[in-house]
Amino acid sequence: MPRYEAKTDVTGSVWKIVTSVGQAIEAGDTIMIVESMKMEVPVIAEEGGTIAAFLVTEGMSVAEGDAVAVVER
Amino acid sequence: MNTPDTAHTIANDWSPEVDELRRRRGEAERLGGDEAVAKHHERGRSTIRERIAALVDEGSFQEVGKLTGTGEYDARGRIARVTPAPYVMGLAQIDGRPVALGGEDFTIRGGTSWSGDRKKGGQGGFIEDLAYQYRIPLVNLIDGSGGSVTSIRRRGHAVFPGVHGFERSVALMGTVPVVSAVMGTAAGGPAGRAILSHFTVMVKGSAQVFAAGPPVVERSLGQKITKEDLGGSHLAVDVAGTIDNAVANEAACFAAIRRYLSYMPQNVWELPPATPCDDPVDRREEELLRIVPRERRKPYDMRKLMGLVIDRGSLFEIQPTFGKAVITALARLGGRVVGVIANNPMVYGGAMDVKAARKQTHFIELCDCFHIPIVFLVDVPGFMVGKDAEAAATLREGMRSVYVALQASVPMYTVVVRKCYGMAGMGTTDKNGLDLKIAWPSAEWGSLPIEGGVAAAFRREIAEHHDPKQREAEIEAELRAFASPFRTAEAFGVEDIVDPRETRGYLCRFVEAAQGKLRTTLGPKTKTGVRP
Repeated sequence: MPRYEAKTDVTGSVWKIVTSVGQAIEAGDTIMIVESMKMEVPVIAEEGGTIAAFLVTEGMSVAEGDAVAVVER
Repeated sequence: MNTPDTAHTIANDWSPEVDELRRRRGEAERLGGDEAVAKHHERGRSTIRERIAALVDEGSFQEVGKLTGTGEYDARGRIARVTPAPYVMGLAQIDGRPVALGGEDFTIRGGTSWSGDRKKGGQGGFIEDLAYQYRIPLVNLIDGSGGSVTSIRRRGHAVFPGVHGFERSVALMGTVPVVSAVMGTAAGGPAGRAILSHFTVMVKGSAQVFAAGPPVVERSLGQKITKEDLGGSHLAVDVAGTIDNAVANEAACFAAIRRYLSYMPQNVWELPPATPCDDPVDRREEELLRIVPRERRKPYDMRKLMGLVIDRGSLFEIQPTFGKAVITALARLGGRVVGVIANNPMVYGGAMDVKAARKQTHFIELCDCFHIPIVFLVDVPGFMVGKDAEAAATLREGMRSVYVALQASVPMYTVVVRKCYGMAGMGTTDKNGLDLKIAWPSAEWGSLPIEGGVAAAFRREIAEHHDPKQREAEIEAELRAFASPFRTAEAFGVEDIVDPRETRGYLCRFVEAAQGKLRTTLGPKTKTGVRP
């Protein structure tokens, strides 16, 4: 099954994961929220699919461009 | 029997020469020959002649220099065949307006340079002279890798850098719109030529651009890298910002060029073209009332906000994938061209990082050069902070952006949507002009955000308190009460606070009113001083 990695646009820390593994999502849905510059920045699904795995946990530091979740299309 | 008249006619008939002219033109139409053209097509690329035909108004191309090339003659001195010069150019029209355009013919020696008495294209070529002398836009369709070491054998000497210099290319940057499309692998001169443009676009997957390609990189640094990894659109557009926009295919590339030019005047002595506008200037979008979350930590969709304010369908974003903390776009308000610079709260809360600063600097200069008023939709907490940001020289690039804003003389409008802090905030104001700043009720401003500033300014008081956290929160709450935008409006420190739904109408009125100033301040802009 084709997969893609959802990436964070910003450096910061993972504040809240708002989806769960196995959950169906649509393009434009928020997968998780990264806190950066005192803002809650959503990681948005580029395409719909199912969350296959998270590559981070809440509280973890992430850098711009890091893959944070795997989505199966 | 011939009458004296018909004898005269035959003696003066130039048909043989006209036949030769036709034959020579036919040779030019063949480009690098059927085989080379077929190979080019197999790679999913069109020829330079097909590209020109796809880009310009139908039937509008008047080629110049079609006979150039290398002729082969038989023993009696008659022309046998001609290998055309690998560059096709001339005069054409886009949306009914003249442009100078040209491009390398990759099917002939990969579009490498050709030496006749006069250069056809590239830096210092006829095509640049045409754009410069006639003050019309220049479009470069780039598909070549410039000079080759083989030319040293042909010439018998090494060419000094700059023998065909960029001085005309540089002069064009202050006088007419220059657009370059990278449509194949561009290195060396053509790559440099592409950069000296107001707008650059490249085709994903089939175009690459670099100072030097993989063989040179491997020889110089021992790095093995593919040309796509070295100069494909991901690196050149998204990461480096070397090229402005990436598009999916050649058709999208031509659409982008036409679209960009539709916002541009023919030259700096003219105004950008106004178009009839069927979108009411007083349109009020209800959604604007609720688009900014009351919770300050929550970002919102600035692109959607922009779309609700400007003329419907008029947004054309420049560098959409680079420096994403700021959005730069050409657009229209009441049919008049404007440049919109909007901070993007989705990326670092809109803080200006080094890439966003570079992007903003370029866009301000572009708008100022072509007399395009600028609308700032402001939500900027300041320059990006942190060690990485300092190491990248964010402060210097950010101040450069402030500097060009303060040198610009085109009308600018400041609409404070939410945050407007510090030097980055100041760089969104029209200090040389009317300095009209309007704010939404959600606006807040200062030299730095209260939550960051309190800890530093009241450090001792907070530390000495039995509950430091509580004291910090108290001071923040106390100061925040003074931060209401209405208090600044009382003091005329901002000129107005508007219902977000009134933004479009307000801006349209002022952009229209500024046309008189724009009309009477046309021409090139000379700037003095040293950019930081």
